Amino acid sequence: MSPDLSAALTGLLGTDSVVNCGMIVPNNLHLPLATLLRDRGYTCYVTVCASHWPAQPALKGAPATEEHFEVATVLRDPTRRDAAHPDGSQTFSWRVSLAPGEAIASLTSLFAGADWQEREQYDLVGVHFAGHPDLRRLMMDEDWPGHPLRRDYAIDTPHAPWR
Amino acid sequence: MTFSCLQPPPLPDPHIDLDAYEAGADLMVLNLGPQHPSTHGVFRIKLVLDGEIIVKAVSYPGYLHRGVEKLFEKLTYAQVTPIVDKNDYLSPMINEQAINMVFEAGLGIEVPRRARWMRTIIAELQRIASHLVAIGTFVLDVGGAIGGGASVFMYTFRERELILDIFEELTGARFHYNTHQVGGQRHDVPLGWDVKIRAAMDSIEKSMDLYDTLTSKNGIFRGRSLGVGVLGRDLALQLGLNGPVGRASGIDLDLRRDAPYHLYGELDVQVPVLTEGDCLARFRMRALEVRESIRLIRILLEDVPEGPIAALKPSKGPTAVKLKDGQWYVGVESPRGELGHYLIASAGANKGMSPYRLKIRPPSLHLVSLVPWLLPGNSLSDAIAILGSLDPVMGEVDR
Repeated sequence: MSPDLSAALTGLLGTDSVVNCGMIVPNNLHLPLATLLRDRGYTCYVTVCASHWPAQPALKGAPATEEHFEVATVLRDPTRRDAAHPDGSQTFSWRVSLAPGEAIASLTSLFAGADWQEREQYDLVGVHFAGHPDLRRLMMDEDWPGHPLRRDYAIDTPHAPWR
Repeated sequence: MTFSCLQPPPLPDPHIDLDAYEAGADLMVLNLGPQHPSTHGVFRIKLVLDGEIIVKAVSYPGYLHRGVEKLFEKLTYAQVTPIVDKNDYLSPMINEQAINMVFEAGLGIEVPRRARWMRTIIAELQRIASHLVAIGTFVLDVGGAIGGGASVFMYTFRERELILDIFEELTGARFHYNTHQVGGQRHDVPLGWDVKIRAAMDSIEKSMDLYDTLTSKNGIFRGRSLGVGVLGRDLALQLGLNGPVGRASGIDLDLRRDAPYHLYGELDVQVPVLTEGDCLARFRMRALEVRESIRLIRILLEDVPEGPIAALKPSKGPTAVKLKDGQWYVGVESPRGELGHYLIASAGANKGMSPYRLKIRPPSLHLVSLVPWLLPGNSLSDAIAILGSLDPVMGEVDR
């Protein structure tokens, strides 16, 4: 990460510890952060990964956690990174934590490639992307009950045979 | 051979409202797939036609959805490798490498040099094998060469067989290899492997000239691919296309050169870039990449590193690898574009032996998401050529 970009991210997020991969960003800063990164060269949309975290009781000193979802986004700067041109990682990723039922802003207005990836995460994990033009299921049937990639969806959940 | 630079037509909106489309037009709905052979797998497209011209294309993937990401929740890290072989079934080796690289990133393991050398050479052989299928099936789709394209199809499968023999000698399997493991390789190089690879490279290089003669000088083939399905650079970048399809539209990005892994940092990878963005450019791009891979393999064979082939001791069971909490993303250059894996590991998931969440970023998903953008405005017969030139693998789209 160049010092220039690092300063811009610090200004936007209001924190000194800007870490690539794994940094948690408030939901309202998700779209501004993606816009800033796209304008600074991260023009290639890579992936979005939603995950479900069920409620956990307090265990071995770790505090109890509420049920929540996490959405990780990865963008890529398609300029060269190797030993001769070192500028950190080519990819930049961050996470957004969501309460159940809370929606995250869709990145389809910035990257057309987000369309199907976000549909897939909506289908399999059940995270809503606000502002998506066509939020339908991608993999499962339109009348499929539940979202299979939630942790509380048993792998042997019975379902009606396909017609 | 030079081609005139074609101006791409204005892009239609894939979310077009058909009620607003030219009142009184006689529109017809046609289902292409899911079992249509030209869709290269099971993939359904609902086409709205005005005469023979496509007005709107709505795609329905999911017919090959097997839920591998759900299976990953229960499988241990060592058990994941043979499963991902089945995702992109035309380049299983690169899938194995990609998934083991993200586990190695999580563990912080340095892979021995000999194993990295093997991975580089295997990846390039696999790229050639995958591109040969793409070249053969595309010529079969558009016809034109001798025997309606079937002869080029047969020739490419003949050459691909040479590479499958090389892999069979290494692993004992022809298709689903399971030869990569966390930290290195499972099987060492057999005796005389390099001689066999050199002979295969010579044979494939000779055949590439033959395919060139059969296709680029054939009027029917050129007529069906030149200027058909032009994909502009901006749209390709927007849709996250960065494989041969992206490079045929002028995106100068190749992870082997730009974010090097394995031994690619020491090789001078020459990345061909074309700007036409039509079906012929995508076809030519794969042929150029095969030639580049042959060149890289010949360089690699000159200097064979000695040493161990795995960083870890041979595992006694499937539970040897354990990861602590963390998140990693690793992307590699597969024959279709960037194949990435986003791994969320948690010490609580099956006592740290299984991934908490492992998201695959398949390049083919982005290739077929192009369909609603690229098909409108083309005729139905051109739709077949466009789908063939994208070369998606449905096992990877649906997973």
